Amino acid sequence: MDAWWQCEVPYPFVPPEILDATDSVRASLPNKYCDPRIAADLFEQVIDEFLLCDDLGLNVLAVEHHAGINSLLGANPVLLGILARQTRQVRILTLGTLISLRQDPVRVAEEYATADVISRGRLEIGFVKSGGSEMASNNANPVNNVERYWEAIDLIKKALSHQEGPFSWEGKHYTHRHVNIWPRPWQQPHPRMWSATGDPDTAAEVGRRGLVHVLILRGPEGTRRAYAAHRQARAEAGLPKVTTDNFAYAAFVYVGDTDEEGLRVGSKLLWFLHTSLKSAPQYSRFLPGTVPPHLAPQVYRTMPKTGTAMLSAGQNAARLTSVTAEQAQAQGILFAGNPDTVYRQVMEFYDKVGGFGHLSLVGRSGFMTHAESEKGIRLFATEVLPRLREIKPLTVD
Amino acid sequence: MGSSTVERLSVRGLDLEVARRGAGRPALLLHGLQNVDPRARFLDLLGRHTEIIAPSHPGFGSSPRPPDFETVYDLVRLYLEVLESLPYDTVTLIGLSFGGWLAAEIAVACSHRLDRLVLVDALGIKISDRETPDILDVFNTSPAEVRRRTWHDPSRWAPDHDAMSDEELVVRARNWDALCLYGWHPYMYNPQLKRWLGRIRIPTLVLWGASDGIVTPAYGRAYSGLIPGSRFQLIEGAGLHPEIEQAEAFVDAIARFLER
Repeated sequence: MDAWWQCEVPYPFVPPEILDATDSVRASLPNKYCDPRIAADLFEQVIDEFLLCDDLGLNVLAVEHHAGINSLLGANPVLLGILARQTRQVRILTLGTLISLRQDPVRVAEEYATADVISRGRLEIGFVKSGGSEMASNNANPVNNVERYWEAIDLIKKALSHQEGPFSWEGKHYTHRHVNIWPRPWQQPHPRMWSATGDPDTAAEVGRRGLVHVLILRGPEGTRRAYAAHRQARAEAGLPKVTTDNFAYAAFVYVGDTDEEGLRVGSKLLWFLHTSLKSAPQYSRFLPGTVPPHLAPQVYRTMPKTGTAMLSAGQNAARLTSVTAEQAQAQGILFAGNPDTVYRQVMEFYDKVGGFGHLSLVGRSGFMTHAESEKGIRLFATEVLPRLREIKPLTVD
Repeated sequence: MGSSTVERLSVRGLDLEVARRGAGRPALLLHGLQNVDPRARFLDLLGRHTEIIAPSHPGFGSSPRPPDFETVYDLVRLYLEVLESLPYDTVTLIGLSFGGWLAAEIAVACSHRLDRLVLVDALGIKISDRETPDILDVFNTSPAEVRRRTWHDPSRWAPDHDAMSDEELVVRARNWDALCLYGWHPYMYNPQLKRWLGRIRIPTLVLWGASDGIVTPAYGRAYSGLIPGSRFQLIEGAGLHPEIEQAEAFVDAIARFLER
């Protein structure tokens, strides 16, 4: 098993009374509440933490979120470029530029090819569907977002791998008559690609395309179902079986010297759930295209009937905002404790979902300090990672 | 006809739900952000003066939306086709808010199939400077604010999701998705339309809810000013939906316009 450390560079330093009074900590919270001097300190600390990961052989992961306290990484390619140059040995996963929000996928391909070359072939390219408040922040039509997602992936893949001079793309959402990027990527035909998704339809498509399939904070049931949809879609399409190396899981992870320390500091990660998910109804349950119309009766009413159908991403978020550390551990979204405990929790989850080859650590969030973060990285990389590395890829039916 | 009927209309392989009412000179009514409720009182009142044909746009109500049918261009071509398929030389075209945008586009393209045009709190053009939106962003604004600015008397007229049936809520969700698909970008207007409004040479009435906070009467006056000879009329005590909040005044204004 491989592991990937990430920090979304959240900005928790907005006065609580402001956060309580606003209906949304994303998209509409004025940026006067973001002090650029504090932001600069945060970036400096987090980039140092990424470099510590590099020293310790722990892979790194760069996300993208827009316009909110949950993350200052609206410009993923900027961080990616820094990591490509400043790290020296580990692999770098971008998860990733929110491609359905960008006007020109060819430009994204250029950014990725450049980062792959600068890092001399250490880039992995992850795609995230996006949604919610990101649509308002990026002026992106939410209704056909998923269509754009797949077409952008197709175009980026072709732009990265086509080497015989300009080609033309006249798709439904993107047109570009003269695609011929320089440099081409270091890795041939292109860096490995990932996709983050939980819903069964997208999971099936991720499976057919053979992308590394990453589930984020979905817990054992949702994760197992998504992996199963991935495998089943491949079987139905007559495609070869994949190994656990095609599956990834992202959770809050913190390792302390003791269980007490691991849980106490690790609990700080839950700030992400408790505070940074608050999103106004127009960016969540009333966002067009988010919930299939036949589910509207559960979503539009003030008191939705319970016990029906699947949870939308917004409902999943609502369920998470009040979770305690103990509940988060029981639900498989927080792995925290001493090194033995964290290893055991990861492997219990591994067994519940049928195995995965990549653990993504949401390793710093909320008010966790730089020192706490670095301690957790060291303990994970030295005490837990070597044991996880022993877990080899398996084919699971 | 007199009584309420919901029928289907098939045009170039597109299947449309259509509310019909009344008898007399024909009027094609293009709905706004929501499809027309066939129980709406204004249909009965207006039906005393005209034969109303009120289709639900593809994706709205129970009208299916074919894949890749997702632009205002598609809707305008569809209704040009509907106009040619109706058994009348000319009809009156009435457009409400989003449907007012469609009606203006259709009138620019095809005045010869129309005898009168009525635009009601119509969207579709850009009036103010680049940093002043003319049309409230109903997708990115809180539902409570949208409700407040839509109605003159929200407590009386705003729909209550808790009181609606499952079927009605499914229709609202379909309408919302379809509206977003057609109108997201540029938001609810065609930058090219304003230039061509001068082509409209049929008698035109521009009706506006005096309390409309989605798209204001000032915008309505400017819109009317771009259509040669058009008449602008405010309806007091109404927001975006004078046809609902002031059904009598709305129908009176149209009836008088049709008699001229």
